[in-house]
Amino acid sequence: MSNVSQVAFGRGSRIVLNIYMLIFFTYMFLPLILMVAAGFNEFDTPSVTVWRGFTLKWFSVLAEDSRMWSGLINSFIIAFAVIAIALPLGLAGAFLVSRLDSRYNTLIYGIMVSPLLTPGIILGISTLIFWREAGVSGGLFTAAIAQASYISSYTMLMFMARLERQDISLEEAAQDLGANHLQVFWRITMPFLKPTILTASVIALLQSIENYNTTIFSIGGEHTLVTEIGARMRFGLSPAVNVIGIIFVVITIVCAAIYVIFREREKARAAAMAR
Amino acid sequence: MNSLLRSFGPHLTALILLLAGVWIVGMIIGPQLIMVEQSFWHLDRGGDAVNITVQIDNEYNDVDLLLFDKMDLEAEKASAERDAKIAEIVASIAQKRAIIAELETREVTPKKVYSLRNYTIMGGSHLAIFLKTILASVAVTLIAFVVCYPMAYTVAKLATPNKAALIMLGLIVPYAINELLRVFAWLMILNYNGVANFLLGLIGFEPVPFLESGSGVFIAMVYAYILFMVFPIYNTVETLDTAQIEAARDMGAPTWQIHRKIVLPHAKPGIAVGCIMTFMLTAGSYSVPYIMTRGTVEPWFTQLIYNKFFESLNWNTGSAYAFTLLIACVIFVFLMMRIFNVSIRDIAK
Repeated sequence: MSNVSQVAFGRGSRIVLNIYMLIFFTYMFLPLILMVAAGFNEFDTPSVTVWRGFTLKWFSVLAEDSRMWSGLINSFIIAFAVIAIALPLGLAGAFLVSRLDSRYNTLIYGIMVSPLLTPGIILGISTLIFWREAGVSGGLFTAAIAQASYISSYTMLMFMARLERQDISLEEAAQDLGANHLQVFWRITMPFLKPTILTASVIALLQSIENYNTTIFSIGGEHTLVTEIGARMRFGLSPAVNVIGIIFVVITIVCAAIYVIFREREKARAAAMAR
Repeated sequence: MNSLLRSFGPHLTALILLLAGVWIVGMIIGPQLIMVEQSFWHLDRGGDAVNITVQIDNEYNDVDLLLFDKMDLEAEKASAERDAKIAEIVASIAQKRAIIAELETREVTPKKVYSLRNYTIMGGSHLAIFLKTILASVAVTLIAFVVCYPMAYTVAKLATPNKAALIMLGLIVPYAINELLRVFAWLMILNYNGVANFLLGLIGFEPVPFLESGSGVFIAMVYAYILFMVFPIYNTVETLDTAQIEAARDMGAPTWQIHRKIVLPHAKPGIAVGCIMTFMLTAGSYSVPYIMTRGTVEPWFTQLIYNKFFESLNWNTGSAYAFTLLIACVIFVFLMMRIFNVSIRDIAK
């Protein structure tokens, strides 16, 4: 057996385990399959129990839905604003915590990760109240700020993980050879962080677009794609919502497959190097 | 501070401190403090606003009557006695006008009063919903742990690499699909004429009103947040040296002992993170109760907060409710850190 991390186990427990896995994945996927199926049903409320025949018409209904399109545009506006805020803040936070030798380090770190442990609605509410004091009412701006307050924590953790593996002597060598701080930063630190900047941007984008709980409390009268989906689920339910579900499922499966293949390849490469 | 200066020089250090400061003060602590501050005051209109309005009306009536009296007196024959009476009436009119002016300013500019009223206003029924939310969240967390621990252990230690990759894919896909859509799938299942009732009907049961009773919320919560338990546990179990498990087995330890003495202690930080995330997401969820009740019942505390803010427009009480929820989550975080004996550094990784 080439893989050393695998534990051997008996036949009886293997059967029990397989049954457990089967139930688990049925539980996970059956609802999604039903949701996808209802998107192809001619019947005009989302249903699989009343089947009126196969149709693709809900795709065109969705394509003509202007509020969904404007919501999508708003989602991207907020997402790019969040990336622009969360990357510098997360990076600054990571530098601060990993390079500052102070007894307040743990406290600062704790405050910076606290938004991840705070319910999203409270981040939304507090941002809304805070900016109302400054005369700014709820809208795309407050939604972006509220989202960035916790997405910055994610980017900070990602940058910290990367900085932990950094060889500081490289920076010191450059300084000894006469490079100034800015040159060291741009030529050595930033290139080292580049892969993380990319992945952190992707994570920030996905987190922002997916977010509902924080956004709904901070966005005021505006809407994003996800808040609009939420509104449709309560009022005017139509299989067009299922079509959005289908699109999400397809995008997710493609992205997840790419991610897993990529990760396994990395693992195999790391294993080959270790040998 | 010195090491920061040494690595980055004065300018970049200043920029780093500025950005981190803006984030900590302007986006994390500041908003929370303002929210907490707001939860401790309310606008007081000097007793009852309606009473003031009635009082003002009465005073105006009195002034009118006095004016009539004055006009009557003025029509009378001039005398010292009459002038004295008129002067008296004029004085009392001025006095009443002063009272009216004072009352009217109180009517339009209510006073800001600091008190615990926003918290004590909660009352029995809302407190019951709060407790129900917390208990249900704990239950969801426990269910998630029981279901997810074997799965995380399987992926990390039992499956072959290819199978592990496939299972991972199977976990990531439902995890990454938007929360609203995951819940929506359950709306279709638990609707009055949905799949569950269709199947119950086939075996001869009456339809069950899952959504109207609020049980749909709980079912959808478990589904929506269960996967937040898998990944943290998986991450810690994966770092466990398999040789430890095999050594224990070779020495004859039964499976449950291996888990109790080796795997579970090693997975502590992951379990703590999983529990915190699941609890926090469940207790703080607005989307699930919003979709799964369709306005028929109000079983979740977050819905009360939403209503205070956006329906009854009482932001002060809303802030108090939100702060109560936050406190509950903070207590839960510290409880988990205590039970699993982990620090904040172990938690956020």
